[in-house]
Amino acid sequence: MKKPLQINPLKLSQPMGALLAFLGVKNCMPLMHGAQGCASFTKVFFTRHFNDPIAIQTTAVNDITAIIDGGDYSISEAIKNITKKVKPDLVGLFTTGLTETKGDDIKGATLLVKDKQKIVYVNTPDFEGGLESGWSLSVQAMISQLIVPQVTINPNKLLLLPNVNLTPIEVEKIKESIELFGFEVIALPDISESLDGHLGEKQGSMSAGGVEVSTIELLGDSGIVISIGESMKKCGEKFKEIQPLSQHFHLSSVSGLIDTDNFYKILMGYKNIKTPPPSIIRWRKRLQDALLDTHFLIGSSNIVIADEADKSYALSKALKEAGAKISSVIVPTRSAINAFIESEKVLIGDMEDLENALEDCEVIISNFHAHRIAQKHHKALILRGFPNYEQVGNNMNNDVLYEGSCYLLFELANLIRESREKH
Amino acid sequence: MVNRKLIKELLSESACSHNKTKKVSCDKPKPGATSGGCAFEGAQIALFPYADAVHLVHSPAICLGASWETRATLTSFKGENNTVLGYCTDITTNDVIFGGDKKLEESLDYIITNKNPNAIFVYETCVTAMIGDDMDNVCGRVEQKHGIPIVVVHSPGFVGNKNLGSRLGGEAVLGHLIGTKEPKEVHPFGINLIGEYNATGDMWQYIPILEKIGIKVVSTLAGDGRIENIQMAHRAKLNVIVCAKSLITLCRKMQEQYEIPYISISFYGKRDTTNAIMSIVNAFGDEELIKKAKIVIAQEEAKLEDALRDYKKVLNGKKAILNTGGNKSWSIASALQDIGVEVVATSIAKATLEDIEIAKSYVPILIKSPANEQSKLIDEHGVDILLAGGRSLYTAIKKKIAFVDVNQEKKVSYGAYSGLINLAKDVVDALNNPVFKVVGTKAPWEIA
Repeated sequence: MKKPLQINPLKLSQPMGALLAFLGVKNCMPLMHGAQGCASFTKVFFTRHFNDPIAIQTTAVNDITAIIDGGDYSISEAIKNITKKVKPDLVGLFTTGLTETKGDDIKGATLLVKDKQKIVYVNTPDFEGGLESGWSLSVQAMISQLIVPQVTINPNKLLLLPNVNLTPIEVEKIKESIELFGFEVIALPDISESLDGHLGEKQGSMSAGGVEVSTIELLGDSGIVISIGESMKKCGEKFKEIQPLSQHFHLSSVSGLIDTDNFYKILMGYKNIKTPPPSIIRWRKRLQDALLDTHFLIGSSNIVIADEADKSYALSKALKEAGAKISSVIVPTRSAINAFIESEKVLIGDMEDLENALEDCEVIISNFHAHRIAQKHHKALILRGFPNYEQVGNNMNNDVLYEGSCYLLFELANLIRESREKH
Repeated sequence: MVNRKLIKELLSESACSHNKTKKVSCDKPKPGATSGGCAFEGAQIALFPYADAVHLVHSPAICLGASWETRATLTSFKGENNTVLGYCTDITTNDVIFGGDKKLEESLDYIITNKNPNAIFVYETCVTAMIGDDMDNVCGRVEQKHGIPIVVVHSPGFVGNKNLGSRLGGEAVLGHLIGTKEPKEVHPFGINLIGEYNATGDMWQYIPILEKIGIKVVSTLAGDGRIENIQMAHRAKLNVIVCAKSLITLCRKMQEQYEIPYISISFYGKRDTTNAIMSIVNAFGDEELIKKAKIVIAQEEAKLEDALRDYKKVLNGKKAILNTGGNKSWSIASALQDIGVEVVATSIAKATLEDIEIAKSYVPILIKSPANEQSKLIDEHGVDILLAGGRSLYTAIKKKIAFVDVNQEKKVSYGAYSGLINLAKDVVDALNNPVFKVVGTKAPWEIA
């Protein structure tokens, strides 16, 4: 009998991805169009994950407005009540399954209040897609609704489109690395300044940092756009529609030696230079050494991964370089990248499927929910993905470029050694 | 189907004191100015602690994806602990268009075949209410086919807040489980614990004491709960509401249907724990039981004072401000006083009328608007420690005083006598920790 339901879901909803995307915009108030619980669950989830306050408001659809309102009332009321207290540069409006089922016209509702408040709207029902698509759709909405088309390009201006799995520190590291080549780089969205876990002056009720709305509006002259992760490919293409003169480069991953090589190849090719800045050369040598130092342990290990598709791809590719055997990968949703994940078995499933795939496996790489599973089956665990309630500082986990790949390899190798001594 | 009449009744509960003065007790949430969970979350909080039942959420991804395995409600159940598992029909576009009835039925069959639970709770959510799935019909049919209780909880988030959802959960249990099984023998001092969810094992701190006195816990709703026990709840002699007031309707109805009286108590702090135990034995009015209770309480209090002695040396004379919500505004205050801390003020911004009344009897100053009053009170009274939610962390850093995040998920219990020792340790640790002063230090480039 085919399993008709999810048991211990791995999948996170589209609106949750949308929230994170809008939190990467400075002074933004994310507004979830749904019942109050949709926003509340999401807020609590990310507050615990990031160990920091999360800005979000809700249109609080109730049993009456669920029937007689087409969205225009609750959305304009919400804007009225939000702007009574704060002055957001942007309201990021996104839907849920409830408001999509009743078929609200959010574009129309947004037009009604466009004089009062700048809004980006996006349809993200939770009965479709998942975290990655929710984030990606929101970025696409920001690109098409905010960026003002320009006739010329600035070849030195680089638009970076990171996927939802990249941690705040990873986004920052990628930005810094690009800056070394002399680019002006803008990440859309940029959670490296909002969800990086910094102590601000006081606790605001809106996003704590990120890319400014005025900066997004002026992105139209970006000469080069780099999208990272399959879920972001469409965002790059969307920008290319607005600015056909720009060059779009897409990378499925920037983890591991080969994919990081590809990343720098693009930057060097675009800038027409033969050697990168010295620190990059240095870090590549360190990664080469790390691969050699860790390959005994990693090469003898068997790993199961359960994470978002783009993250699973990046992890499996990077770990394969040191000889890891990836016996199974479980992803929550359909993605074109699933076919390219380097594993013996890739399936769309839940955490129960993970539990059923543990035979012969030594290490699990997955989220907090795998903690109980790992303990029960005496497996070692590397925590990645959402949620991570167990570890503080997860926003500083770095698996990208030569440097982060070193940390990833060392973490895994040390874990394998430790776990073999224990068992 | 969502029962509008029932919801109206639950919202104007006659046993709630505030409903004597107010016409409409619970207002609709305001768009753009609302926080807090929905009715489904309330039902989840109330019922998920039944570890021997599967909890199937009939919804798309958002309802359960972000909310399973989030609560530290412990269980002693030896089988598979369903409290920490997440079952979801994962409604997709197809189901929205063609209906989710079939998927629900297949899911129930799958669960019964593969997991063999003692019961299944099925939660209705916003989308499945909107698309009009006839859940009562499907579940009734499957229940007949397999012979295990399948309880439909009509708790779509849009009907109201968490509190209402807990009530709806209670109603489902009352209508479908309570009174469906008879015990072999009826204990003369049997009680039901209502609204105790055993977060961090709170109830395990006081149940052994009750048992020592001769009181038997017949069933719970729903901390460390079992389906079989709640089915026999109608044979208990007393309903004990622990802190949470949301299930008062259930208790009133049980009084009407089964003539079971109810009392409402708190197990936080020494005085309240003692009062709670005495309230229970007094409700039975049995001389022997009361005598036994007094002896056990004396022993427990002496043991506690012994354990608290060293902590009290540090805590005596320390001043605190408490800024939290609901019944915590007084229950934690009372507990703090019991470990020697002077509670200067407590916030009532998020408390009910009843909570405010009780808070008055514990704390001299009630804070209506923490954002405006908190800092001033810290200065005026020389407060040493602030116990509040994360939002107040900045106040603590600015004022360079110790801070305890009372809203953060706790790992240890503060319940009953022994939990008080955990609280004392945490407060002492916070007072001794220099971190708030260090973090508040100006950077070299900020010094003028």
